[in-house]
Amino acid sequence: MKLKLKLKLIVVLLFSISHLISVSSWKKEEFRSCNETPFCKRARSRTPHHSNLIASDVTIRDGDLTAKLITPTPIDGNHNSSSNSSSDSSSPPLILSLSVYQGGILRMKIDEDPSHNPPKKRFQVPDVILPDFEISKKIWLQRYSTDAGSGSSSFVVYLSDGYEAVVSNDPFEVFVRERGGGGRRVLSFNSHGLFDFEKLRKKEEGEEWEERFRSHTDSRPFGPQSISFDVSFHGADFVYGIPEHATSLALKPTKGPGIESEPYRLFNLDVFEYLAESPFGLYGSIPFMLSHGSAHGTSGFFWLNAAEMQIDVLGSGWDDAGEDANQEKRKRIDTVWMSEAGIVDAFFFIGPEPKDVVKQYASVTGTSAMPQLFATGYHQCRWNYRDEEDVKNVDAKFDQHDIPYDVLWLDIEHTDGKRYFTWDRALFPNPEEMQKDLASRGRRMVTIVDPHIKRDDKYHIHKEASENGYYVKDASGDKDYDGWCWPGSSSYIDMVNPEIRSWWADKFAYTEYVGSTPSLYIWNDMNEPSVFNGPEVTMPRDAIHYGNIEHRELHNAYGYYFHMATSEGLLKREGGKDRPFVLSRAIFPGTQRYGTVWTGDNTAEWEQLRVSVPMILTLGITGITFSGADVGGFFGNPDTELLVRWYQVAAYLPFFRGHAHHDTKRREPWLFGEHNTELMRDAIRVRYTFLPYFYTLFREANVTGVPVARPLWMEFPHDEATFNNDEAFMVGNGLLVQGVYTQHAKEVTVCLPRDHTWYDLKTGTAYKGGRAQKMEVTDADIPVFQRSGTIIPRKDRFRRSTVQMENDPYTLVIAVDSSGGAEGEVYIDDGKSYEFQKGGYIHRRFIFSDGKLISVNLNVASSSSSSQGTSFYSDCTIERIILLGYSSSSKPPKSARIEPTNRVADIELGPLQIRSGVRSAVLTIRKPNVRVSDDWTIKLL
Amino acid sequence: MKIYTSIFFTFFVLSSTLILRSKTAISSNDLLGVAPQDEKYYKGLWSSGAIKCKDGSKLFTKLQLNDDFCDCLDGTDEPGTSACPTGKFYCKNAGHSPLTIFSSRINDGICDCCDGSDEYGGKTRCNNTCWEAGKVARDKLMEKIALFQEGVTIRKQEIEQAKISAAKDEAELSKLKIEEKILRGIVQQLKEHKEQIEKAVEKERIQKEKEEKQNKEAEQSELKEHEGQEKIDVEEQVPVKNNDDRAAILDTNPSGKEDPVERAVDVVHTAHAPLDNGEKHDPKDEEVSEFVHGSEPNNGLGNKVEDATKGIDSLSREDLGREIGSRWTGKKTDQQNYDVDDAKKDYETSVDVHDEENNGYDTETDEDHHLYDDNCKVDDVEDENNDVSSSSYNYDPDDDDMNILDMETESSPSWFERVQRTVRNVLQTVNPFQTPVNISEAENVQKEYNEASMKLSKLKSRISRLTKKLENDFGPEKEFYSLYGQCFESKQNKYVYKVCPFKQATQEEGYSTTRLGKWEKFEESYNVMLFSNGDNCWNGPDRSIKVRLRCGLKLEVADVDEPSRCEYAATLTTPALCLEGKIKELEDELEILYKQPQFHDEL
Repeated sequence: MKLKLKLKLIVVLLFSISHLISVSSWKKEEFRSCNETPFCKRARSRTPHHSNLIASDVTIRDGDLTAKLITPTPIDGNHNSSSNSSSDSSSPPLILSLSVYQGGILRMKIDEDPSHNPPKKRFQVPDVILPDFEISKKIWLQRYSTDAGSGSSSFVVYLSDGYEAVVSNDPFEVFVRERGGGGRRVLSFNSHGLFDFEKLRKKEEGEEWEERFRSHTDSRPFGPQSISFDVSFHGADFVYGIPEHATSLALKPTKGPGIESEPYRLFNLDVFEYLAESPFGLYGSIPFMLSHGSAHGTSGFFWLNAAEMQIDVLGSGWDDAGEDANQEKRKRIDTVWMSEAGIVDAFFFIGPEPKDVVKQYASVTGTSAMPQLFATGYHQCRWNYRDEEDVKNVDAKFDQHDIPYDVLWLDIEHTDGKRYFTWDRALFPNPEEMQKDLASRGRRMVTIVDPHIKRDDKYHIHKEASENGYYVKDASGDKDYDGWCWPGSSSYIDMVNPEIRSWWADKFAYTEYVGSTPSLYIWNDMNEPSVFNGPEVTMPRDAIHYGNIEHRELHNAYGYYFHMATSEGLLKREGGKDRPFVLSRAIFPGTQRYGTVWTGDNTAEWEQLRVSVPMILTLGITGITFSGADVGGFFGNPDTELLVRWYQVAAYLPFFRGHAHHDTKRREPWLFGEHNTELMRDAIRVRYTFLPYFYTLFREANVTGVPVARPLWMEFPHDEATFNNDEAFMVGNGLLVQGVYTQHAKEVTVCLPRDHTWYDLKTGTAYKGGRAQKMEVTDADIPVFQRSGTIIPRKDRFRRSTVQMENDPYTLVIAVDSSGGAEGEVYIDDGKSYEFQKGGYIHRRFIFSDGKLISVNLNVASSSSSSQGTSFYSDCTIERIILLGYSSSSKPPKSARIEPTNRVADIELGPLQIRSGVRSAVLTIRKPNVRVSDDWTIKLL
Repeated sequence: MKIYTSIFFTFFVLSSTLILRSKTAISSNDLLGVAPQDEKYYKGLWSSGAIKCKDGSKLFTKLQLNDDFCDCLDGTDEPGTSACPTGKFYCKNAGHSPLTIFSSRINDGICDCCDGSDEYGGKTRCNNTCWEAGKVARDKLMEKIALFQEGVTIRKQEIEQAKISAAKDEAELSKLKIEEKILRGIVQQLKEHKEQIEKAVEKERIQKEKEEKQNKEAEQSELKEHEGQEKIDVEEQVPVKNNDDRAAILDTNPSGKEDPVERAVDVVHTAHAPLDNGEKHDPKDEEVSEFVHGSEPNNGLGNKVEDATKGIDSLSREDLGREIGSRWTGKKTDQQNYDVDDAKKDYETSVDVHDEENNGYDTETDEDHHLYDDNCKVDDVEDENNDVSSSSYNYDPDDDDMNILDMETESSPSWFERVQRTVRNVLQTVNPFQTPVNISEAENVQKEYNEASMKLSKLKSRISRLTKKLENDFGPEKEFYSLYGQCFESKQNKYVYKVCPFKQATQEEGYSTTRLGKWEKFEESYNVMLFSNGDNCWNGPDRSIKVRLRCGLKLEVADVDEPSRCEYAATLTTPALCLEGKIKELEDELEILYKQPQFHDEL
């Protein structure tokens, strides 16, 4: 009896444990808070005017302004700041250098003086800054001028026609200001004297360098080496950026009177069930912050550093100082940046327009890669599509329900025991045939390849990696680091080494990756890296990488290198002819050059749908435009309404993929009854109709760095009502999308930016901007508007996938502004190769004014029939031109004359969207049938 | 109207010859993509010049028909092009069966119609494969018809058989009910008789005590005192024995359940206990200790209940990895281990899994299950048939029960008469009012009472089983009657799936059994068997399985699948689904296929 009772008790106990695990979500205590992170705690406790550095030996050298930062000798000879080891008077100086680059970019580096032989060279992140930037964008400084102030002198250098950079020597400060006039400041560094630089040194007697967190010990063989400083954004109403956090677009203050919050943390982590509102660091880190305000416009600050970073946004009154009261009445936002290691390699971007700042940032870290057309369509994923039959069925169901999709994804279970590049042959006996079958209908497949390699001597990847010493080493420096991930005991490829990256890239050759075909692309997950038994579910900071780099120094860039190597692999396998598609979860500056990202393991909740929008917008303004969130939410089961709403919002976001955890119920679009199938089909189809527009915007992002999905303030920088709005967003400059984020919503309020007219895309109804507009909503769709003055290209025919849309005709939607004009573009290429880089593309600008639409060629290469360029031609015609806002004129046009063919096309009333059940009547030019690649003019009669 | 005339004019100039020709006769090109039953609708274009879109939204002209521009949102004007999203295209597929496809398939570079008529744009060439495909389809259809024909015959026989079996079961049930009534009376009689005897004995004892007391007082003799003592000892034997039995019954049925089946089992258990005790307890102990042992790696988990923070820190590196990883996989760490290292299938894990999966059963009655539950019986059979990919067998719980209880089945009904007779004799011979009570006769009554009430329990259990069986829905024609008491197996990879209609469905892997569902009901008008409320899924729903029934000559489970986590699906072929009406349908289908012109080369 007793035994039985005990047994029963254990059963009950086990059950309650499992229950406990299933309901608990984010495990806060398993991650370090700032207080548990010594460098952060130290930095956060510093008060203004902590720094006593002065700049000396200011000079111009190699086109840079350089200086030594030294601690002045105390007058009485006493060490008055013994608490701070870095400002010891005997300590060697720091070396400062300022460089100026074209387009309004100031770069500031601060590092230890190599002539003083520090114990170790501090880590500078290679492979992020474009070589072209450093070589050809640099402006060689010739001279500086000086400003003599009271007790301190300032050294001024040219930055751009409107701005100059200033170094004040005592106290040391660097800032950017407008030239001439009032010389209003834009950005400043160390204005509050919070700069601190822990120089590498020898361990002192009895000093403890080890750090412990929970059961983990960090040996910290090099001791404290953190850096922190304050940066002020002048004329700013809000600051944005520094992804990845699940939080609002405009960053809330984390410190100041009445504010209790952790700083924004930048430390790539695999976070189980993250919260929808938290400054906690997620999978990626981009230490790039933008500010925007009505006074200055936009500016930006970027710190290239791959160690753990913590950033405080200070609330007004944080230093209760009246020092600035007499200086500027303008708004200012102060921030404090803290990093565990590395050097100061910081960039100041002067803006002043929002798009200027993103362009300036893109000129440093690169623009986003031009995606293949298929990647802009809809992706269907699940952990896991079990076997070949499952794949076949899901694919067939899409066709059965006439729902377009482009890519089917396979998660970790497709492999042989989580050995990447292999197949579970019981489930996938014929992977090539499976891919070929999908490809016969124009569809691609994506398989997962993660950086943790199963330690199994029979596994070829492990065998080669261990034999060649390609793994990251543990703290000893000579043993492979052995962690735990999906396959169990695993080691991690050391992608920092270019040789290892090259080896890895070769693994994607069709002969190496057995079972892969040209229609197979790759997904990099868990590349933070995720280590189940490591501190904070990642790699120990004292693990050693190639070149004796400590993991702490490059942690945030680990996933970036892995993504890079994989992308190179896909490029290599087709001899550089096929644009890679690699989805990554970990993020770092430069990621945009290698592929796509998503926001990780979100949850099927309304607030997570809500936060996905600011998360994606934030990624967009910090360079990574091709991003998305798992549609429906990864964890949990979305109710049908949430799922439908999620499809409706996500259809307008750059990366559009449905994904789900294996514990969840199946949720493919046809599983919720005919009505809901129709709603989801409609949402996906709307995305496909706008693909010509999206693709054009991806090209814009590829050329300029301006993101596809944009915060409203990026398009309307002078409309203050938009600065804080992250419920609505712009797709390009033409579409405004308002999400619906609550259950049973009957109406939503849309804040349409002022000075424009907005056309409801369902009804064609015009709304004046500048006020909150209440819109009734049904379950059929979310409010979407086209801005007056824009022309948007669409393809209004439905197909199975992007491949079958290639020859379909276009629809142009013209929304005229108050002066009767509108403009828009379309970009077309072969959708897959790099021929576009040689001129093999069509780029047209459509200009409508005075009742006349003209198509202008923007492809300089093709117009100047240069011999080296290739050309791209399309047979596609324009089957329909819709005119919005034109009916207001007293006499609507009846027909249109097409030049040069001199044909006449009819104008009649037609629908704005070809969707049954949607009634609208707008002026439509019927079958103009001009070629999209030709020059032509269409005149309304 | 102005617009239309101008279109007409333009078109006339450009292609007057075409128009002239089509004015005179409607060629099949004009009606590209129109299904034959719709042709009438479109003929209005030739008679009246313009017709309405089917949704009534607007008028369109003949020139707008298939002009590659969508005028009707419902696609009426574009049956042959991809211009309208909701359009449908009809391909004749001569030689095979006609097909209606979405307009999104037209000229998309993929051959959807076997006659290739959907790819007329010239960019893609499609071979006409209708004849070959049609032949395959026809052959398949013919096979299917043959199968159904044979199946229908078997089905008829089965229905006949089912009727007989059902009638037999019902007859037996009513007979058993009568017997139960009588037996209950007998038991009652015996009980009363026994109690009277007991009373008499007690009375006698008190009387004797009195007498002895008197004697003691009177004689005060040591010898007599001793004698009296002895007598009391003997007399006390009867009630003591009785108490023993009752205690045993109570002991094995501590929950005090009134379920007659349970009672019967308990009683039997007591009867066999001395024999089996030793054997039974050992494996039980082992299991318990293994269970405890098996959960040792969960120590960290155990701590978690008290303090989730400290819990995982106390784990070894490997267990920590497993534990953290299990958050995503939703598996217990031990199971994760199992999954992670597929080569290493340690016994410990499977035992643990087994116990966990079984925690839905009442632990208290485990021993009984081991001996008497059909579950156990089934397990034995299954072990022998492990290698067979699909198999079936009977488990007939009723017969098992009867055999185990050593009770003759209805084929030899004499046992009941015998009982009646014996009891009558006993009751006649034993007279409770007679004093002094005849000790041996009293014992006889006691024995008969015990036996009769045991038999009553068995009878009750048999009745309840039969009632339960007959309460089931065996289909409108009782066509599923024979499936009762049968199990069907299918082996897939490492799992054996077992479907026992009207009972349960399980998934077995080595020693561990996972219950996929208990029988719930038929669904979709007897096309699907639903088993629900199976073992709970970690972080998910209770397991369930839908078994789709298909016409087949043999009863076979196949295509076991888990389309959604912990929601299983399978098919079961059975003659019960070979419906006669379906044959006509299939024959009509075949006839249509044959009616198609064999070659049709219009395009």
